[in-house]
Amino acid sequence: MAEVEETIKRIQSQKGVQGIIIVNAEGIPIKSTLDNSSTVQYAGNVHQLLLKARGMVRDIDPQNDLTFLRVRSKKNEIMIAPDKDYFLIVIQNPTE
Amino acid sequence: MFFFSSYISTFLYLLRQVFDEHGQDVTPHPLYNPDPGVLQPKQGKIFPAHDTSWTTVTDFPSVAFQTTNASFTGPFTKERNKAYTELCKNRLGNDKYVERSMQTFNDAPKTKEVQSDSITMVDKAVMSSTWDMYDSFCNKGDASENIVVSAEGKKATVPDSSSMNHLLNPSGPDQNFELILQSDKFKQDLAVMERVVLANIFQPKLAAYRQLPVIEDPDCVQTQIEEESWTEQSKNSLSPFLEHLWVFKCELTKGRNVSSMTWNKKNPDLLAVGYGQLDFKDQKPGLVCCWSLKNPTWPDRIFHCESGVTALDFSACNANQLAVGMYDGTIAIYNVQTTEQTPIIDSSDCANMHACPVWQLRWVDHDTGLAGEDKGEMLISVSGDGRISKWIHYKGLECVDLMKLKSPNMIVNNQRWNPKILSLAPGLCFDFHPNDSKVYLAGTEEGHIHKCSYSYNEQFLETYKAHTGPVYKVTWSPFCPDIFLSCSSDWTIYLWRQDLSKPVLGFTSGQKVVFDIMWSPHCATVFGAVREGKVEIWDLRVSSLDPTIVSVTNPGVNPTALLFTPETDCVLVGDSEGQVTVYKLKNLPALEDVIRTTLSSKHTLGKTDRDA
Repeated sequence: MAEVEETIKRIQSQKGVQGIIIVNAEGIPIKSTLDNSSTVQYAGNVHQLLLKARGMVRDIDPQNDLTFLRVRSKKNEIMIAPDKDYFLIVIQNPTE
Repeated sequence: MFFFSSYISTFLYLLRQVFDEHGQDVTPHPLYNPDPGVLQPKQGKIFPAHDTSWTTVTDFPSVAFQTTNASFTGPFTKERNKAYTELCKNRLGNDKYVERSMQTFNDAPKTKEVQSDSITMVDKAVMSSTWDMYDSFCNKGDASENIVVSAEGKKATVPDSSSMNHLLNPSGPDQNFELILQSDKFKQDLAVMERVVLANIFQPKLAAYRQLPVIEDPDCVQTQIEEESWTEQSKNSLSPFLEHLWVFKCELTKGRNVSSMTWNKKNPDLLAVGYGQLDFKDQKPGLVCCWSLKNPTWPDRIFHCESGVTALDFSACNANQLAVGMYDGTIAIYNVQTTEQTPIIDSSDCANMHACPVWQLRWVDHDTGLAGEDKGEMLISVSGDGRISKWIHYKGLECVDLMKLKSPNMIVNNQRWNPKILSLAPGLCFDFHPNDSKVYLAGTEEGHIHKCSYSYNEQFLETYKAHTGPVYKVTWSPFCPDIFLSCSSDWTIYLWRQDLSKPVLGFTSGQKVVFDIMWSPHCATVFGAVREGKVEIWDLRVSSLDPTIVSVTNPGVNPTALLFTPETDCVLVGDSEGQVTVYKLKNLPALEDVIRTTLSSKHTLGKTDRDA
């Protein structure tokens, strides 16, 4: 447990990381370092995107599954690690 | 009806002959005589074959009769016709025939109504994608999985959809949260995420390391200061220099002295660094960190050792075994695949273990020329108690001495020192010949370098005496089979050839102790050296008097270890503050530079030709 907390702290302290959000399988955020409204926004939108992305990957080959998703935008990069019980979102602006 | 009866009667009549007044046979003959031999054409088969009664009815062959006028006006028909006309005449006014009319009942109509419930129509639709079908086909165990989850949560819920679960247990999120955080998959995901975040930050440095073109981020607003410093350096860039890429350091390693570094033989991105004080004072517990190139801010594995770490080596056969030699003479073998702190095996139980610091360790593969148990990989160590030993992993680590580093006979006061008193010189380094694994060199604290053979442990094959201080490192050239290099605390580095007892070349630059040297794995004439306060890269093609690149470190910080990277043109320098800095060798004369200069000169030549 302590190891996990430490790793989260380390990621949070890396250059340019704006926030870390952990969301459970229903799309409800359970841990976040951002404010409430942004968290809820990110969680909801990412949930939908994940469903679509996973559906796409599995449609093409049902034995395949989504393991990681990165969305690069002008201002930052959103990295999502999905799983069947949760998904982990990290928002980073590496050029800060 | 009448017609039918007449048909029958004519048919019956056919059976007898008809003769007219003149006695001629006028029997009507059938027009069509079906040939008895020919199969009758069947009618279109609509009915099933077993229903033969039907087919026979329809299969009556059509028979047509020829009736001539003569037969038609025959006596039989004449009679009948006459009788008929008489009957028609007698009909009117005859008592035999009465006209009557009838009335039929019209039943009363009755209306009937039926009413039923409206049939509700519901639209039901299911989206079934390819993977949906695949999942339901494969996941028979899915129901049981759900049950397991609810058992862990200690609630007797029906394994239904997750939304139902949520409603039944209001404290659901908290419990799930705990479960999630403890799951292995989450830890793995976190590790991957950390590496991804760091890859974003270190991307240009890693690209430079891997010799990929460094592409600028198109969305990035490059800070002015960074650009200036970079351009400044590139202005002087015609001369070779060391480009600083990044530093491996973290909280744990602060203040510790880097004593040794080694690459993993199988995974070229994994680096093991040993931290331990090299001198007698300030001994503290040592540390071994396995760093991955993908995460320069935190090591992947951390092993705490009881005493300072002085030597490290990864095994080539079992790439996950790391042998660690320590200041108190213990040798431990760790398995880096797990994060367990305890080594697989440790030499502290061995009776013969080293009593002095283990200064160098190596896994050596004896594949040629040796028979029996000596084949395969072995761990060989040299220590301050003057012994070079081979360690065998058999119910615990046991060692066999390969060589005792005896001091050669000393002449004191014109008398030969009693040879019965064996004094062993502390060994500081050794190196096996890259091609011939039976021959090795050992350097001692007295400044002698002995060439020894693996199979003969009584005497040295040869001794090279030139250094006046302890020989810290001796290393064969990876390209030339006879050449080796040695460095010592007497400020010198000597280049030797195997057959000459005096060094061929000596390198000195300043009066500083040389801690470590290493040949470059890429270029036969390049080697690196680490002195107190300086990192030097020597290129013998350019000059054998001065180092080609000299990089001065921060004051107070001494570089203590040097390592070249096997695949790229980078060099790692470990220092006394616990930092391992990665430098890229820039502008060392290389083939690309030669080509570039040739092409650019050709280009200018071409230009002048055109102008002229």
